[in-house]
Amino acid sequence: MIKKLLIANRGEIVSRILRTCRRMGIATVAVYSEPDGKAPYLREADEAVLIGPANPVQSYLNMEALIGAAQKTGADALHPGYGFLSERGLFAEAVVQAGLIWVGPSPQVLRTISSKSYCRQLAHAVAVPVIPGTLDLLQDAREIVQYGEQHGYPLFVKLDRGGGGKGIEVVQSAAEAEEVFKRASSIGRMAFGHDGCYLESVVARPRHIEVQFLADGFGNCVCLSERECSIQRRHQKIIEEGPSVVVTPEERRELFERTRRLVLRMGYHGAGTIENLRAADGQFYFMEINARLQVEHPVTEFLTGHDIVQHQLEIASGERLPFQQDHVTLRGHALEARVYAEDPETFFPSPGTISRISFPAEDGGLRIDHALADGFVVPPFYDPLLAKVIAWDQTRPQAVARLAQALRDFRIEGVKTTIPSNLKILEHPRFLEGDFTTAFIHEMLGEKTTAGI
Amino acid sequence: MEKSVNANMPGLTARVVVNEGDKVTKGQEVAVINCMKTEIQVLSEDDGVVKKVLVKEWDELQVGTPMVVLEV
Repeated sequence: MIKKLLIANRGEIVSRILRTCRRMGIATVAVYSEPDGKAPYLREADEAVLIGPANPVQSYLNMEALIGAAQKTGADALHPGYGFLSERGLFAEAVVQAGLIWVGPSPQVLRTISSKSYCRQLAHAVAVPVIPGTLDLLQDAREIVQYGEQHGYPLFVKLDRGGGGKGIEVVQSAAEAEEVFKRASSIGRMAFGHDGCYLESVVARPRHIEVQFLADGFGNCVCLSERECSIQRRHQKIIEEGPSVVVTPEERRELFERTRRLVLRMGYHGAGTIENLRAADGQFYFMEINARLQVEHPVTEFLTGHDIVQHQLEIASGERLPFQQDHVTLRGHALEARVYAEDPETFFPSPGTISRISFPAEDGGLRIDHALADGFVVPPFYDPLLAKVIAWDQTRPQAVARLAQALRDFRIEGVKTTIPSNLKILEHPRFLEGDFTTAFIHEMLGEKTTAGI
Repeated sequence: MEKSVNANMPGLTARVVVNEGDKVTKGQEVAVINCMKTEIQVLSEDDGVVKKVLVKEWDELQVGTPMVVLEV
């Protein structure tokens, strides 16, 4: 088993990983950039190492500094968290070459699955439906026109190595094909170093439904639960929940079965998520794989009682999954609300100093993952996520009510937060009925204003 | 007269979109700030000519940090 873990990240996820390490008796090393020097979780870790200035390229994206910190402190493993370098094959490889355990899928797997078209082909090969489009990379704009003649417009031109909502261009008609193809290729070359792209049809009124899985190095893959993440803005998730109100037990079994086929074919080990779109007609399509711990993993932890970080550490240490699919049962309903340092009306960023913070006590149905303290300066250089409030109860209405109450009792002074917009969503009749798609936020705000969106 | 265009939000310089010698008009985008991963435009408040660019990509900014000097 891992003896000393370096957590190559910042913010709430560091606190989260530290909690499991303490329970498992694993020593910990946290890292920080200069503006994060007073982050409260640095005191919770056994050691803390300064890795560089505010600029993430010189700190949280600085491979040499991170691996150097691990070697200096005698850590034998590195957990990348989410974002930053968490899915970077090159980093995973450097970590392994430095003699450290990488908590995540192998560098080889990370490299191959960073190609979206490769993942689509793999899914197709194991009979997992992909979003309709082309499986091979486009050679020229004529292929867009040919596809458009058969299947209609609009179409998405997506970059093979794109990500984070970047690298997606829309073609409205044959006349635009050439121009959009050139633009996408050029963005790909400049931003991602690869100009390959492929076509996808537009899925009408989609819901975003993902499956959390765990896979060990012995050919076992277990799916824990699905999570519905349709409440999002600009590809940024805001409220996630499980189970999804639209997934039937038969559909869940089918989604789990598809996930297992795909994950085992990839040779993936560790925790991960398969993201799917559910079309208005009820069909599910594979969208992409997230090869890391996800922000919204606590939803699944509440539903199943499993500690996903613990399983990550065990799998990385070479252990077998200690349970099988039949042992997984979903209990009740869980929701997560992300609290961002943003203006709740305009979603404009709101960095600043937290003058006072107080929130309700955690219990068996309420969990708050955060990295906040009175006087903490929220730096303007990184992600605006401040805290995650996760509520569980026997039924969805009860869980929604519990989450809303916790958000009303959550006080942060000094910065603006999205708590009021979270409450507006949780009180919206369409949300309460479970009648929504990924366009929900846009439509909800459209009732009043679309400024800043 | 010289006048600077200053950062309106703290963060990191995403890019400066004008070059020295460029003519700018009031309301024109001069630079972009990355604040908490959101891109925020910095607009010129005057008509003028860019005399000097003071920041480059990834430079840290506070509210009021001069980014570009204009001859107005």
